[in-house]
Amino acid sequence: MENLVYIALFAPFVSSLFAALFGMSQRQVFVGIVASSLLAISFISSALLAIHLYTTGDVIHVRLMDWINAGDLHIPFGFIVDQVSVTMMMVVTLVSTVVHIYSIGYMDHDKSFNRFFSYLSAFVFSMMILVMSDNFAGLFIGWEGVGVCSWLLIGFWYHKADVTREENPSISPSWAANEAFIMNRIADLGMLIGLFIIYWNTGSLQYDEVFAQLPYLSETILTTSAFALFIGAMGKSAQFPLHTWLTDAMEGPTPVSALIHAATMVTAGVFLVIRANPLFSMTPEVSFFIASLGTFVAFFAASMALVNRDLKRIIAFSTLSQLGYMFAAAGLGAYWIALFHLGAHAFFKALLFLGAGNVMHAMHDELDIFKMGGLKKTMRWTWLYMGLASLALAGIFPFAGFFSKDAIIETAFNEGTYVLWAILVITAGMTAFYSFRQVFLTFHGDERYKEFGIHPHEMYKYVLIAMAPLAILALVAGFGMHQYEAFITNLLPEYHMSEHTHHLVVWLTLIVSAFAIGGILLAYVKYAKGLKRDTKLENSFAYKVLANQYYIPQLYEEFITKPYKIVSEIFWEKVDLKIVDATVDNIAKTLYKTGDSTRSMQTGNLSNYLNWMAVGGVVLLVIAAISAMLV
Amino acid sequence: MENILSILVFFPAVAGLLGFVIDKESARAYGITVATIEFLLSLWLWFSFDMSNAGMQFVEVIPLIPDIGVNYYLGVDGISLFILIMTTLMTLIGMTSMSITTNIKNMIVTLLFLEMTMVGVFVALDAIIFYLFWELSLVPMLYIIGAWGGPLRVYASIKFFLYTFTGSLIMLVGMLFVAYVYHNLTGVWSFAITDWYALVLPVNYQLWLFAAFFIGFAIKVPMFPFHTWIPYAHGQAPTIGSVILAAVLLKMGTYGFVRFSLPMFPDASVMAITPVAVLSLIMIIYTAMVAYSQKDMKQVIAYSSVSHMGIIMLGIFAMNAEGISGSVFQMLSHGIVSGALFMLVGVIYDRRHTKLLSEFGGLAAVMPKYAVIFGIMLMAAVGLPLTMGFPGEFLVLLGFYQVSPIMTILGGTSIILGAVYMLRIYKQSFFGPVTKEENKVLSDLNNKETWSLVPLVLIVVWLGVYPKPVLEPIDNSVKAMLNFMDGKAITQEAKDMIKVSTSNKEVN
Repeated sequence: MENLVYIALFAPFVSSLFAALFGMSQRQVFVGIVASSLLAISFISSALLAIHLYTTGDVIHVRLMDWINAGDLHIPFGFIVDQVSVTMMMVVTLVSTVVHIYSIGYMDHDKSFNRFFSYLSAFVFSMMILVMSDNFAGLFIGWEGVGVCSWLLIGFWYHKADVTREENPSISPSWAANEAFIMNRIADLGMLIGLFIIYWNTGSLQYDEVFAQLPYLSETILTTSAFALFIGAMGKSAQFPLHTWLTDAMEGPTPVSALIHAATMVTAGVFLVIRANPLFSMTPEVSFFIASLGTFVAFFAASMALVNRDLKRIIAFSTLSQLGYMFAAAGLGAYWIALFHLGAHAFFKALLFLGAGNVMHAMHDELDIFKMGGLKKTMRWTWLYMGLASLALAGIFPFAGFFSKDAIIETAFNEGTYVLWAILVITAGMTAFYSFRQVFLTFHGDERYKEFGIHPHEMYKYVLIAMAPLAILALVAGFGMHQYEAFITNLLPEYHMSEHTHHLVVWLTLIVSAFAIGGILLAYVKYAKGLKRDTKLENSFAYKVLANQYYIPQLYEEFITKPYKIVSEIFWEKVDLKIVDATVDNIAKTLYKTGDSTRSMQTGNLSNYLNWMAVGGVVLLVIAAISAMLV
Repeated sequence: MENILSILVFFPAVAGLLGFVIDKESARAYGITVATIEFLLSLWLWFSFDMSNAGMQFVEVIPLIPDIGVNYYLGVDGISLFILIMTTLMTLIGMTSMSITTNIKNMIVTLLFLEMTMVGVFVALDAIIFYLFWELSLVPMLYIIGAWGGPLRVYASIKFFLYTFTGSLIMLVGMLFVAYVYHNLTGVWSFAITDWYALVLPVNYQLWLFAAFFIGFAIKVPMFPFHTWIPYAHGQAPTIGSVILAAVLLKMGTYGFVRFSLPMFPDASVMAITPVAVLSLIMIIYTAMVAYSQKDMKQVIAYSSVSHMGIIMLGIFAMNAEGISGSVFQMLSHGIVSGALFMLVGVIYDRRHTKLLSEFGGLAAVMPKYAVIFGIMLMAAVGLPLTMGFPGEFLVLLGFYQVSPIMTILGGTSIILGAVYMLRIYKQSFFGPVTKEENKVLSDLNNKETWSLVPLVLIVVWLGVYPKPVLEPIDNSVKAMLNFMDGKAITQEAKDMIKVSTSNKEVN
């Protein structure tokens, strides 16, 4: 079994190195095939481990070697395969195998084909370290590793020039990549501080040792460490106010958006909260904050998705919104439900993104859904996939999203947090609306793309086949919920609905479904027949605020980026050169000038020297007299 | 080889002297051979180093001026061993990658002399010997900047020399005073650092002496506000000068704090934590911002190197093994990474004869190998886990957290601000379309450049994944030092502040 752990972990690493060997050469299809096969091996190993764990219940814990030992700090490279990590391993390797195969088709015309696979596999490797590590420091390795891979992949088409924000809200791939990296770094500082608090109070960073120590810690320490860790989670999972990078990250190739910015990396924050659930369940204030922030983000992101015209950005906002749902569940103590939604969401959201990739491939990278329409005719399979994924996302029975999202909303009701419950229900309606607004505008109605001279075509068959597992899972995953509950609650705390909720469960479900179906119907009425622009609405203040993401990116630019640049320049030109350095130079100059002016004393004239001697003598006498008086 | 340290110190110098008679054409090959042998010797030193022994090893003592207790006294411990190896490595790599062709013989001889002084500083255990090497190191660097530098080279080299020399003189006064006190207390003269360790000085003496040494070391580090010589020195120095300056010469300052200030003046050091930390934080944040506003690629690296030295200073004053070991490790990491970054700037300067960021753009498409290596070094500079930049920075911040959480948060902004200016220069020079005609035909790294940089990349990854072989001996010596400081400290505050590791506590 130990070997399987290492195979699951290192197969993506081997894949990355292999692709890197060909990184600077021409496109080689076998690079993609080898990489995909290695990823499939990793998936199979993960699946075998999952089966082993399911049947025997034995948690596998391996220790590879020491990493950092200094003072009393000991950090090993240790990996643990328990219920939580095996879930993540399955999700990560499955989605990434699909995305790897998909990329062979999607990136077929890209001259940096091989390099792409190298980055993509490196990402999977980092993600595996993140989820499998048995300590916080190892998690941090993966945490930073996925950050770098995300930076590389968002900026994959680095040759594109910067343009204005009006032309492209993300400015350029390299700009978006840097934004993502820096925002994540801000959050990472919070996470590091969390690790420091944990280390100095428990003497370890190993999960088991830390969690065993928790009961002996004071409330302040628990709260601050939980909060600091959550700041880290906010960055990776793009929670407000560190959310702007996620939509800009759509500059990356679409398979990247599917894998990193929908299914896996962005859920790392949720994973952290679930992993550290013993800590978070002891800090009710922080947990409630997490739930509230999650609910807020769910609504906030959904509101921006309502009016967006960019195919990928709409899906990105919906990812943000769904991450909000996961945090809401985790914050309310329903850790396993959050994890279940994480998995279900990974399947249907990756499917949705890959479908969007097919559309882009067909539309020559056009992203504006106002310029699409009627694609159903030419792209039947993609339509089917995206429709199915959207139904799952909207939470329609019997798709996966129905079970997982409904459970989250029920949890909010069960906890008595009715405000959160109401917001989540409304958001469910909004989710359904924007998902189907996008589906209808893309696939139904008049064929608006024709005036742009585009001839769309369906994606390659093998790519469509590769997407099938995701579609099947989006369809059936919900039915495994009870078995999964039994499996995962071996590790995570159980969560039971109260008697009261139990009585109302049918009504609750009906309310949520009513909102979801209502949203779909509204979208159908407005958009299924074709696009009718409502200029009055589009010029209204509220619409503009939403379309401009509440002007938050502009706000950051005006109040953070620009002032930072100005202050930096002042520091350099005014402070460093004019004050600090000039002072040093002035001291030197003064010394030089003093020497220069007193040089005239050296006249060679004996009587002059005598005069100076007399002056010196008098000065010495005066000093002696004064010091004598002082003593 | 009992005299391995003497051989390490004087072999480059003797070889340098012989270098005068070598033919100009073969001077370069000669230099590289000598530097290689020297590097292999330093590796041999590591090989025969007893990892479990935290004290001084390979000690050599030859009385020089017995009347006043000046001895030729050398030794290494875990702290100095790796700085020494890094010195010989960076000299070798710097020499290999060097693109200078004018007066090549003089350059080789100068570098070999410089190597002697640098190795000397890190193995000297007698204050006078230390001081001799310390000051002698200024001369070759003065010559390198002054003779091979840019248009402002004379100003830059004189500023460098006078500034650091002034600081050193104050340090010398401090040294003489310690020796005087030692004589008063024990009746014998001694300049041996190990003898001085045994001195328990009253707190007010400690404070004055700490201040005297502080000025000498702080200018060298260079700490804010004594840092303004460094942008000129880097700006004017040829690539090899910047590499050695950033990689090794700056470390003399931080090494001085660990070797002298901490064990000799534990109480004063504890009292100085807050002021030093404040200066370090200014270094970290302020110079990172200054680095962001630079228009010249080399100046960005120069200021970034000052900013990272702030992290090292912070770690030294953490007063626990995590922080100080991290700090010493960060010295090595900074040496390798900033040295490599200066070499990388040199690569593009050799091709374009400019370092202005506005001249570049889209280089990743033209020079992919260069972009990859620059990218790896950049990630090491911003402290990415599994590169060499991480363990040091992590341990320093972790260690300092125990001293002050607020200051650690401020110091931790280094990981954000570092990413800000580093990603900015990477984006400006490597990403975007190739805008300048001249850049479209640039050649990628040649063999010489590749083979100088690849070993550094390998080290950066190796010590990022498995820092243990280096970190363990450092940690042993640091723990022993802290143990010693704790025992020696007079004031209760100092005893409270200095944290002895639990593993050491059990022993005692």
